[in-house]
Amino acid sequence: MTVPELSGTQEAILAAYAELIEEVGSDDVSYRVIARRAGIAERTVFRNYPTRVDLLLATAAWIEATLFARAESQSIFDVPLAIRDAMLRYDERPELAHVVAETAMRGVNGAAPSPGRAQLERLLDTEVPSLDAAQRTAIVAALSHLDSVGTWVTFRREFGMDRRDIADAAAWAAEAVLDTIRDRVVSPTFRSR
Amino acid sequence: MEEPVDTATAILASAAVLLRERTFDDISYRVLADEVGISERTIYRQYPTRPHLLAALSNWIEQSCFPLPPFVTVPDFRAAVHERFRAFDASPAYAHVGARASAISPTLDTEPAYITRAIEAMLDVAAPTLNQRDRRRIAASLRYFSSAMFWARLRTGFDLDAGEICDAFDRAVDTVLAKLPSSATWAQP
Repeated sequence: MTVPELSGTQEAILAAYAELIEEVGSDDVSYRVIARRAGIAERTVFRNYPTRVDLLLATAAWIEATLFARAESQSIFDVPLAIRDAMLRYDERPELAHVVAETAMRGVNGAAPSPGRAQLERLLDTEVPSLDAAQRTAIVAALSHLDSVGTWVTFRREFGMDRRDIADAAAWAAEAVLDTIRDRVVSPTFRSR
Repeated sequence: MEEPVDTATAILASAAVLLRERTFDDISYRVLADEVGISERTIYRQYPTRPHLLAALSNWIEQSCFPLPPFVTVPDFRAAVHERFRAFDASPAYAHVGARASAISPTLDTEPAYITRAIEAMLDVAAPTLNQRDRRRIAASLRYFSSAMFWARLRTGFDLDAGEICDAFDRAVDTVLAKLPSSATWAQP
């Protein structure tokens, strides 16, 4: 996952905005209030984030990279475990989880909807290189879809699941996706790094 | 699209028209009020915040542009979802509004979507003796792979077109259904 290099001021702005989102929601927070919370001048906020959309996307990226950061999986077969952990983490910060989920659904003007794609591809290519292109895409797409805040939002909203049920169902689905490739792994002895 | 019947609907119809040339974020209440020919205050009365507007707009678009074909069996479910993904691809701006609205913090007492209920009913018929835990796991997975979010993620994050997205969807559904015990009466893919 790429973490954009932030200045101390930018980080203060994003942290202040994230705090305020949890208190009052993302819609009602003015630049003046954000500036006061961050302890800087309002024009400094404007200089760094000229529009509200700029500010929101930067904040969502910052939340993903910090509060929702995860340990990198060493194997594609570890991904369900990472997904389970991620779901529990989203559940601790529901308002921020919704913000991250929504900014990833804006199309080309929004946040990258599959930030973990490259890593999933790397793991899959190393461990299960024998897949054809369509199989590979389908597995990476399914795992990348499951390994996102959208899973937490959907399972909660549509099925009223609590944190344990969400973590269980998300990890279960990821295991199901991996079932088709479980015994197609290249032996580590033959793997060239 | 039928004639708007009331102010709330007229606002949504105008917002949908504006969506053809700009993103949802660029549709201010000011611009929207001018388009409908009413005051900004009237819009605030109907939709106190932008998330309210987004949720209502998404419902309206869903009903007028992306009606879900009814389904009872798994093959019908697949066909219905394919049809929706193709419709999304033909109107990406509208489909993204749906994907966004399904991700925001719920503004009202949101009912589960019709497709959620339909998937649960399909499972009741196909696997009546399946335990609750596995039933919810399967229903939730099928629901999530058939969502506007899945379409949006694969379109933007993977540059896939509707046909490729339908293929990835079918493969995901296969992996989920393969988890079912053989007693379930699935029409095998």
